Amino acid sequence: MNESEPVLRVRNLSKTYMQGKIPVHALTDVSFDVKKGEFISIVGPSGSGKSTLLSMMGLLDKPTSGSVFIDGMEVTKVKEGDAPKIRREKIGFVFQRFNLIPTLTALENVDIAMRFARVSKHIRKERAIELLAQMGLGGRMKHKPSELSGGEQQRVAIARAMANHPAIILADEPTGEVDTKTRDMIVALLKELCEKGQTILVVTHDMDVAEKTLRRITMRDGRIASDTQQ
Amino acid sequence: MQLKAWLEGVRMLDLILRNIIQRKLRTGLTVFGIGLGIFAVMVMGGMSEYFNLHVDRGLSLMADKIHVLPESGFFGGSLDDSKVSKVKSIPGVLDAYGLLWMPYDVESLGIFGNFVVGLEPEKQAATLKDIKLTEGRLLVPGDSYRTVIGSNVARQRKLHAGDEIEVKSKRFVRASTITHTRNFTVVGIMEFTGTDFDYIIGVPLDTAQKFYDMDNTLTYIWVIPEPDADADDLAKRIELNVENVATFSPNQLRKQIEQSMVVISLITLSSAVLAAIIGGLSIMNTMLMSVSERTKEFGLMKAMGAEVKDILYLTVGEAALMGILGGIIGIAGGGIFIYYMNEYMASMGAVIFAITPRLVIVALLFATLLGIISGSIPAYRAARMKPMEAMRRE
Repeated sequence: MNESEPVLRVRNLSKTYMQGKIPVHALTDVSFDVKKGEFISIVGPSGSGKSTLLSMMGLLDKPTSGSVFIDGMEVTKVKEGDAPKIRREKIGFVFQRFNLIPTLTALENVDIAMRFARVSKHIRKERAIELLAQMGLGGRMKHKPSELSGGEQQRVAIARAMANHPAIILADEPTGEVDTKTRDMIVALLKELCEKGQTILVVTHDMDVAEKTLRRITMRDGRIASDTQQ
Repeated sequence: MQLKAWLEGVRMLDLILRNIIQRKLRTGLTVFGIGLGIFAVMVMGGMSEYFNLHVDRGLSLMADKIHVLPESGFFGGSLDDSKVSKVKSIPGVLDAYGLLWMPYDVESLGIFGNFVVGLEPEKQAATLKDIKLTEGRLLVPGDSYRTVIGSNVARQRKLHAGDEIEVKSKRFVRASTITHTRNFTVVGIMEFTGTDFDYIIGVPLDTAQKFYDMDNTLTYIWVIPEPDADADDLAKRIELNVENVATFSPNQLRKQIEQSMVVISLITLSSAVLAAIIGGLSIMNTMLMSVSERTKEFGLMKAMGAEVKDILYLTVGEAALMGILGGIIGIAGGGIFIYYMNEYMASMGAVIFAITPRLVIVALLFATLLGIISGSIPAYRAARMKPMEAMRRE
């Protein structure tokens, strides 16, 4: 892939749900590009289509029309059976509620993402330890989610998202469940990762988070209302 | 391909085990449920296996001969020595000899329990075929109140060569009966055969006839056909040439026994079906609960790039493992039960269970398949879940 080519290209993306017999246009003709290493926030009120957009980009849902390209590949065209491969190789997810597997330790929660990518056990362990150490969780690896604070859990989730070297990390309200101090710490961590070249797209309705990103896309009624560099 | 699938399963084994261990009570109850089902399969199957062995061995010992009996059946009719020579004179008959078959317990109907069998010492080899002795010797011409006993008779009465066994006979004198008692000396003990021979007290024919006051009387005539003779045809010819006798050719004998085996097989099959229903519903219920509790987890795994087969390995693997665990418990429990039941039943004179490698393998496969099949529906439900929908669920 050419370095100047965008990591993510969204072209004329639309999604219409049927609510009974009434069509609901969740997304209408959304287009934008994301370059490697960008730290972008997508903001907007509830129902503006930001979470739907994230689902389409993450191959968690199919658009009604339009395309999403990741690393030059049109991912919206891949067959359903190939979607898991794209998800584990190109995309890392961070969710609002951390979504760690409660029965696994921090280390195993990072390890499991690489298991699905068929990474060998030895490499998995090495990578998981390295990532958790990078997140400042070197001493908490053997702890289960219930023994970790919200901030620590979210850092484990970020480490997990990065495990398979994804082209892009999609974060859905990553600070929605933490206090302001932890929020600032998580945002600082994401920013630091971007500075090292990781592309991160954050969906949030927290303007304090959005202000710390370098680019902000504002959604309204399923369309892009504004796209500003900060 | 199968090896790959197996390796995938092994790759997930630690996750499967962790899930099973995490939900101890639920897993325990499910495994116990399957264990009970497999226990039933083992006990019923053990009984069926015993009867199968009994029949197979019995057929191999007896079904090379044509059985001649009185036309009116066992009760109310009898054969005599003259019939033996008549049968012997029929072309195609290599040898024929008589047996007197009396219930050991004179009060019984003579269907179950031990039997006193009068047989000519010279014909022992033909009658007992390859049955070996664990103690002592066979009967020899000139023996009178001597006996060779079956293994169950010896076990039940704790008899050894040289011991005495008390035998009773009932004689009808006018309107009353007189019971005679006589001790027979055990000269030999037969090995366990899993056949009717385990229940016999073999005595010389002439002694038996005298003791039961049934001179010249026989219960059966066993006929050995010449090697190239057609046994069915010969049986018909015996019926035609000897008056008042009925015959059972080896084929008829086999058919009759196989028919009676159908009932036993049906009992075994119904117990297996019952076990399948109990165990299957138990696994399905547990797995449905487990899957619905972990909906979000599976959605998350799919978001992380897990494929349908990964989720299937995890869920079906869990169900199969519960099946295997239940199977092992059921087999162990059934095995212990059968062992002690056989010990107990032997002391009462009847062994009715047998554990065979085939039974153990079938029970374990049955338990594993039960797990896989019952776990498949919940597993498929988990695997087909849309990641986004699954994750929205609380």
